[in-house]
Amino acid sequence: MITFEQVSFGYIEEGSTLKDLSFTIEKGSITALIGANGAGKTTLAKLIRGLIRPTSGRILFNGKDISRMKTSTLAAHMGYLFQNPDRQICKNTVGEELDFTLEKTVPEEAERERRKAEVLEALQLDPEGEPFLLSRGERQKIALASALVHRPELLILDEPTTGLDYKECTQIMEYVKILNQQGVTVVMVCHDMEIVLDYSDHVIVMHDGRITADGLTRTILRDAKVLAASALLPPQIIGLSALLQADGYTGFEEVCTVDEMTACVEAYRREA
Amino acid sequence: MIQMKEFSFQYASGKRPALKDIDLEIRPGDFVGVIGNSGAGKTTLTYAINGIIPHYYPGDFYGSVLVDGMDTVETKPEQLAGKVGSVFQDVDAQMVASYVEDELLFGLENFGVPKDEIEGRLQEALQRTGISDLRYREIESLSGGQKQKVAVAAIIALRPDVIVLDEPTGELDPESSEQIFRLLKSLNETYGTTIVVVEQKVGLLCGYAKRLVLLDQGRIVMEGPVREVLKSADRMEEIGIHVPRVVSLYKELVRKDLFHGAAPIHTAEAEKMMQEVLS
Amino acid sequence: MKGLMNYFPGDTFLHRMDPRSKILFSLLICIACFVTNDLYVLLGVFVLDLLIGVFGGIFKQALKLLKGLLKIAVFLFILQALVVCTGEPAFYIGKLAITWDGLKTALLGVLRLIDITLPLALMISLTRMSDLSNAMVSRWHVPYKYAFAVTSAIRFIPVFTTDLNGIMEAQTARGVEFDTRNFFKKVGLIVPLCVPLLISSVKKIETAAMAVELRGFNLRTKDSSSKVAKFRLPDYLLLLLGLGLIVLTVLL
Repeated sequence: MITFEQVSFGYIEEGSTLKDLSFTIEKGSITALIGANGAGKTTLAKLIRGLIRPTSGRILFNGKDISRMKTSTLAAHMGYLFQNPDRQICKNTVGEELDFTLEKTVPEEAERERRKAEVLEALQLDPEGEPFLLSRGERQKIALASALVHRPELLILDEPTTGLDYKECTQIMEYVKILNQQGVTVVMVCHDMEIVLDYSDHVIVMHDGRITADGLTRTILRDAKVLAASALLPPQIIGLSALLQADGYTGFEEVCTVDEMTACVEAYRREA
Repeated sequence: MIQMKEFSFQYASGKRPALKDIDLEIRPGDFVGVIGNSGAGKTTLTYAINGIIPHYYPGDFYGSVLVDGMDTVETKPEQLAGKVGSVFQDVDAQMVASYVEDELLFGLENFGVPKDEIEGRLQEALQRTGISDLRYREIESLSGGQKQKVAVAAIIALRPDVIVLDEPTGELDPESSEQIFRLLKSLNETYGTTIVVVEQKVGLLCGYAKRLVLLDQGRIVMEGPVREVLKSADRMEEIGIHVPRVVSLYKELVRKDLFHGAAPIHTAEAEKMMQEVLS
Repeated sequence: MKGLMNYFPGDTFLHRMDPRSKILFSLLICIACFVTNDLYVLLGVFVLDLLIGVFGGIFKQALKLLKGLLKIAVFLFILQALVVCTGEPAFYIGKLAITWDGLKTALLGVLRLIDITLPLALMISLTRMSDLSNAMVSRWHVPYKYAFAVTSAIRFIPVFTTDLNGIMEAQTARGVEFDTRNFFKKVGLIVPLCVPLLISSVKKIETAAMAVELRGFNLRTKDSSSKVAKFRLPDYLLLLLGLGLIVLTVLL
């Protein structure tokens, strides 16, 4: 779906740079971009969306070079959720907000209404609700709804769960998961390793403008060296299983979740 | 240090009370984590401690809130400020100056700290927060974590007994978040500063706080030492609070009758729990 | 983005001078430029402006400002040259006579514009806003509230710019054509975005107001500042230079 060929961005004297990135994001995957603040995750996400253009290298979207496409034209194919929902929301009601996205991206009237109804239902939003009177979590949901109501092929989420409580967080991520199962490719910047573990299948680790690792989520999050080098901490259960391994217990090498850990404990005790 | 008795508050613009029947005592030297869903009243609780309510946001105020014996209704916020330092959610908006040094000077000058003491207090605050090297930097050029430390430094320069923070790690990565909490812990342990912090990341909070206050729809649902509160992980899940994974594991092990000890608050303790289970 | 009104850190003698003398000096130059009609005085002031840039270590910035001013200057020059039609004609554009008087007035006008703008802009680039407001409050007894309002407004400019850019970016991502080359279309698209900008700004300002109050804003008096501005020899010399310039222009 997305291919980066030796992409660099920014000027060395300005500091914030991405250096020589090459990777591919497969269609139908949920890829998490992880790394410390300032590692270049948001910059990378904006490059994918075409909001900024690489200083060198090529970015291909379905095989086509995106530098030849207008940012506004790409909107029909890609949805982007920003860190701060207040920058995205600009209409007085939730319904108008969704129409704003739809009128630029979906030509048929009937199709628009159908998609709007579907999203409102899925995220439990009131079309008459006034965004600026609602809580941060509700506004985040509205911003998400407006980013995906036109059913883009690719959905880019920049820290979708920041500022949300756990309940709102799960609700949003569960919906993203459903969309993914329906064929939407997802790229998300995320700090919460538990969410990365629960929802993504691929991970790209960034540090200081470079990609330090790229692979399956469960493999990468178990790689203590890579995480430590990028100032990241493993999810709790993976951290725990690493500690147990260091203590000399065997059979915990693949453990990532609470259920797996309990199953392992029971197996271990049966053997003993 | 802080006593709330049958305290309720409803914003003048609100449809229902933001906080209801709050009875809470925070003792000197406590490190209290406040958790709860959005709309549970966490921010309002911090506002009650620093006097923002009822002085800045009017509304119906019932019961009493005492800070070091002073009634917050009768005391002006700036008088309370000598006791309570506040760090708000939006770190950019709360900065008053363009330079780190000026940010610290602002409070020191306002409160009339004698001029020959100012330099010492300024250096002390920078050193305690570990940002002496940032003194002459422009605030715009700092990272999120550094800005947050500047906000804390500007507060501790005034030597408050209590620091109240509202989601100080909201926009920070895991490493910077740990740094902020390590800082709070050192202030708490070394200088005995009472800390009250609202935080979404329960896993992080449990590793540092001594007590937890769990709010739901304006009421205190649970309150006590971290381990005690974590014992009721089921109740937390019911409300929709994130339960740290090691605590979920603990709960699972208890349910299967494999473990009978106390709940672990971080991975190192979970390791001990597992060693016991596996032996 | 380093724009107008930004402080450029440094440690030159101009940086260390009393903020008040720098501002007063700029105002004296302003007056002198308004009073005089002498081309040589205006050219002299122009050189003086560039010298401020050199001594303040911000010559590059001075040239950048000059480049920005040049666009307005060219426009003004043409306008004045066309309007004034007394005196000997210098040359003709079609039937329109451009006179020597017109050219001279135009040149004077342009130089005056540059001479008035540059010193103030440069001096502000060499002065920390907080020092200026402290000096005005403690020495000139300007109420602190006003001084604070002005410095805060200036401090919030980059915050709002970041906000506006973020909003434009977010809307582009949704298919709004901010990437259009048509300037008027772009302006038309920006206007509706003022609503989200305003709302986020009001929220920010509310937090700022609370934070400031809790840190003793209301307790501040004119003597609170710990840095005391003081006139020293270079300050007096600079002011003398400014006054001398005015005397010179009046005598000429």
